[in-house]
Amino acid sequence: MARTAVDPITTEIVRSAFKAAADEMNATLIRSAYTPIIYEMKDCSVALLDSEHRVLGQSAGLPIFLGNLEICTRLTEDAYGRAAWRPGDVWIMNDSYLTGTHLNDMTMFGPIFHDDECVGFAACRAHWLDVGAKDPGGSMDSTEIYQEGIRVPPVKVVEGGTERRDVVDLLGRNSRFSYPAMGDLRAQIACINTGAARLAAILDRHGLGTVLAAREAIFAQTERYERAAIAGIPDGTYAAEGCLDDDGITGEPCWVRVRVEVSGDEMTVDLTGSDDMQAGPVNCGEAQAISAARVAYKLLINPDNPPDGGAFRALSVKVRAGSLLAAEDPAPCQWYFTPLGLLIDLVVRALAEVLPEQAAAASYGDSMVISMSGLDPRTGRPWLDLEPTVGGWGAWQGSDGQDGLINNVNGSLKDLPIEVFETKFPMRLTEYGFRTDTGGAGRWRGGNGIVRQYEVGCDELTLYLWFERSRTPAWGLFGGEDATPPVVVLNPGRPDERRMLKCSRVKLRRGDVIRTMTGGGGGFGPVGDRDPELVRADVRDGHVSPEAARAVYGLEVEG
Amino acid sequence: MSSYRVSMDIGGTFTDVVAYDEQSGTYAVGKASTTPADLTEGVLAGCEQVVGSPGDVTFTVHGTTQGLNAFLQRRGERVLLLATRGAGDVYHIARGNRTRLYDVHFRKPEPLVRRADIVEIDGRLDSAGTELEPLDEAGVRAAARRVREEGFGAVAVGFLFSYVNPEHELRAQAILRDALDGVTVSLSHQVAREWREYERTSSAVVDAYTAPIVRRYLERLETELRSRGLAVPLHVMQSSGGIVTAESARELTLQTLLSGPVGGTMGAVALARMLARPNLVCVDMGGTSFDVSLVIDGAPDVSSEAELEGFPLLMPVVDIHTIGAGGGSLAYPEAGGLRVGPESAGADPGPACYGRGGDRPTVTDANVVLGRVDEGNFAGGSMTLDAAAAHDAVGRLGDELGLGTAELAEGICDVANAKMAQAIRTLTVEKGIEPRDFALVAIGGAGPMHAVFLARELGIGEVLVPRFPGAFSAWGMLETEVRKDTSRPYFSPLAEVDLDDLVRLLDELEHEGFAGLADEGIARETGRVEHALDLRYVGQEYSLTIGLTGAGEPRAADFERALSDRFHAAHATRFGHANPGAPVEVVAVRTAALGDLGRADPAALQDGGGAEYPADVRQVTFGRSPQDTAIVRREDLSRGAVVEGPAVISEQTATTVVPPGASASVDPIGTLVVRVGEEP
Repeated sequence: MARTAVDPITTEIVRSAFKAAADEMNATLIRSAYTPIIYEMKDCSVALLDSEHRVLGQSAGLPIFLGNLEICTRLTEDAYGRAAWRPGDVWIMNDSYLTGTHLNDMTMFGPIFHDDECVGFAACRAHWLDVGAKDPGGSMDSTEIYQEGIRVPPVKVVEGGTERRDVVDLLGRNSRFSYPAMGDLRAQIACINTGAARLAAILDRHGLGTVLAAREAIFAQTERYERAAIAGIPDGTYAAEGCLDDDGITGEPCWVRVRVEVSGDEMTVDLTGSDDMQAGPVNCGEAQAISAARVAYKLLINPDNPPDGGAFRALSVKVRAGSLLAAEDPAPCQWYFTPLGLLIDLVVRALAEVLPEQAAAASYGDSMVISMSGLDPRTGRPWLDLEPTVGGWGAWQGSDGQDGLINNVNGSLKDLPIEVFETKFPMRLTEYGFRTDTGGAGRWRGGNGIVRQYEVGCDELTLYLWFERSRTPAWGLFGGEDATPPVVVLNPGRPDERRMLKCSRVKLRRGDVIRTMTGGGGGFGPVGDRDPELVRADVRDGHVSPEAARAVYGLEVEG
Repeated sequence: MSSYRVSMDIGGTFTDVVAYDEQSGTYAVGKASTTPADLTEGVLAGCEQVVGSPGDVTFTVHGTTQGLNAFLQRRGERVLLLATRGAGDVYHIARGNRTRLYDVHFRKPEPLVRRADIVEIDGRLDSAGTELEPLDEAGVRAAARRVREEGFGAVAVGFLFSYVNPEHELRAQAILRDALDGVTVSLSHQVAREWREYERTSSAVVDAYTAPIVRRYLERLETELRSRGLAVPLHVMQSSGGIVTAESARELTLQTLLSGPVGGTMGAVALARMLARPNLVCVDMGGTSFDVSLVIDGAPDVSSEAELEGFPLLMPVVDIHTIGAGGGSLAYPEAGGLRVGPESAGADPGPACYGRGGDRPTVTDANVVLGRVDEGNFAGGSMTLDAAAAHDAVGRLGDELGLGTAELAEGICDVANAKMAQAIRTLTVEKGIEPRDFALVAIGGAGPMHAVFLARELGIGEVLVPRFPGAFSAWGMLETEVRKDTSRPYFSPLAEVDLDDLVRLLDELEHEGFAGLADEGIARETGRVEHALDLRYVGQEYSLTIGLTGAGEPRAADFERALSDRFHAAHATRFGHANPGAPVEVVAVRTAALGDLGRADPAALQDGGGAEYPADVRQVTFGRSPQDTAIVRREDLSRGAVVEGPAVISEQTATTVVPPGASASVDPIGTLVVRVGEEP
């Protein structure tokens, strides 16, 4: 194709048009989705791709979905050839080993045609409430992918503009909640149609030649920007490692090992030293490990610009097939994001010594999920609650860490208000507050975790827990101290008191108490450098106890 | 003897006063510098310019930013917060969400009350409002002692489930009032009778933080105006788009907090009625701001929740979306490319042409280079622009990017226009609206300068530039009604609603509504009360507000079906799909009491036959080349006048750019109606 010259003005207009097209796709998806996981938790992602599977514009609901939609169109083309792309088709897939995530995440995409030529793709991914796993919504103790629901390779769900009833029916029959699943499927189709219409409008407005030339200029700008940022980092190899408590099955720690090599204006994140794939559901497909490495890279290198096809060109990611970060059949993948949150934190830790301004001490880490179900005596109906829990974030140069904030992987998720919780469920929420002294001490204090205590108000309750990072609590940086890890206590102070972190299908009775406690964030800088006034303020505010002020900071402060 | 309806709008820099002469149907506009130390000075100075004596005023309304300024500058009262035992940290946890995804240095908004100033009080209700544990009155008394000893100026009370049963909050208030004199007490259920404890507590805290200041200010202004002869009640604009007397506003000051720009949207609502164009996108662009609001089917887009610097506020508020940074957006190079915004030069140093030391080019500088700004008469002549500085700033960036000065200047405007239009489009998509079906109202000093370009990007065919675009917010305040909002939570599946019970509640709210109107001096026959229900599909989190035909509607034979049909239709419009047949539930009842106090009715301009008007010719750049462009004074245009692009129409407070291919005409009430046309 002949190259058209393009000026910086047109380039910038086209760049913002790509971004706006992705935003509009995202707005369409969220506006039409049926389940709160999408419209509330934003567990979704959209991208507009060019004909070579490169990102023109992306709008991510969850950071963890950064840059992994293009792999789906690419793999489909590898499998079926370029001729498989037909106008009006939409494809769907969720195979964890291809898409990288758990089976709940349905990825859909359609080719975009302009003057009979395939000029790009509109793609989106959204979390479906249920895809037929052995437990409703998904399992915490699956041992193979076959227990986690229907597994779909790339399949056409819309052909020439018409839905394939057979495929739609197959998907519908494999969900416990088929009504919202079908609603979300159509929301995703609407999103893809929006993307196709916007790209067509951009091409009509500026012409294909100009848009292609602008695209190259945009990618070049992004690549230049990122390479300049990497060139500012001293060459060298930087490493960090940490472990998950266990995989939910075996009780053994699972190690994630990160080696970051910086050479000139290129960066390699080598994850090959990480453990083999695990018996429990903490594995992910290679695509998702690459996404997570990109999230960490973005946090440090280019946090403000929207990602495009020029982003991540200076980054290579090495994973080892058969490891928990590049799982293979039949490894279970339901909790694929647990090692990825750790991976992101470890990349930041590895580079902290050369990027002290951009870095922060570790956060409390994982989603800290509690799930409860039972029968509501007020209505006689079954109920199910699933909540991630907030915790402490790491301190950084110039600031204490935040107390009680949602983890990295959960994006912009809000907690469930006590009033909403008690109205919806036959439960009492008797305490929700900060967990004093759990943030790591330091010149800058790590944020505190929280306590959230539930009292059972129905005859029988089934409890599931997924609390993590007790073996690798949030670490401090530059002399700052590590944080206190999480713990969950059942019936505290009673003879039947039990402490645990993960569990499946534990039965509780009316009046039983579940006290969840999340960890804090790491401290930053030596404890001895902390301004005594800040310690006194922390004691006054109850974030640090008088005992800790004395023992850790050597200050006598009255509470 | 003259009689005037007068509105006063305090902006950051200027206080605008618009007076409507009831005899002649004409307007006068006054402008005075805002006097931050004592805002009443600026208000009175502006007033004196247009009204001889306050005694001639028959109606007056006032938009105040006093509370907002106190909030923005963190000069509010020191607040003690009382919360339910076990839930005191809810205010600091602030729902734990992050609004920036790729930021390990993210911080929540700094709370207005420090943790040490939050007191947990025993006493607990369940979700049905049943008392599980009585209120610890000794604990409240101890808190009152602390207020006195430590000199707190206000107390906020946010107890769990007070929206169902307010007894504990009311008892706490009685104890605090007994023990304390002159200390504001804000109860969460009175500020916002809605569920979600963080949002309700945040609303009560902002109320407690700002109310004493607003109250003192309103009292002072009313006293000053009275002493100068004002004989009618002073009205205050609310965030909902309605007005209340200053006396009522003192009771619920939070409702006035975001009233500043709302007058503009209410003015657009009035234009929608006068010009029979029910759907409008209203663009308010100033030197450093760009606000967008929508008028849909002749009504403002009012939502029941707002956010201020990250703090949620549960109250009815006209939705105004702040996008980018308007004229102050900086143009700069990045990795060999051109960027425009979101970084802004702000008001200080501001654009290079302000001559305050800014040397980086902004959108305003680009407009100066293009000749689209009357540099000698900027901001009503209060400021002379340094055109050379604008040229230098744009020229330097042009050298860096390999572009000519004029070429880059137009490019900066093109990029800014494209981004603003895209932001508007995304906003309308979220609302389920196609912008093509709307007309665009342009206000603010810079709105009419960019409006035609925005309209072309959005496929909108018509731009309306009302009279007084620079003081339009004040103009709009003269076109509003009295409005008092109340709500009650009401949880029930629609199919299981006890209809008699619902009608009883609606009757009660209707009675309250009319009583509230009576307090505003509105007789029962001139007021009206509107009811609505918040509905959602069972299992959904967020609801839609669906209007009822009246308090008695639930008694109608097919009530359930009629209401769910209305809900399904609204859901399809707003979210793109509906689910007829799925169970619907009621979440809340909302009531608005409205009363008309009369409005300004603009007289038609004299028909000048549209003929002659003087015009200078100046070179203005369009389509990358300078073109002979008519420079016209708006006051020289009579009714029916037609101005073909390229032209620049300037007036005291704003500049309208009519590019080639567009043409403007003057309608009977003086609105510039611009047919957008196509770029030739």
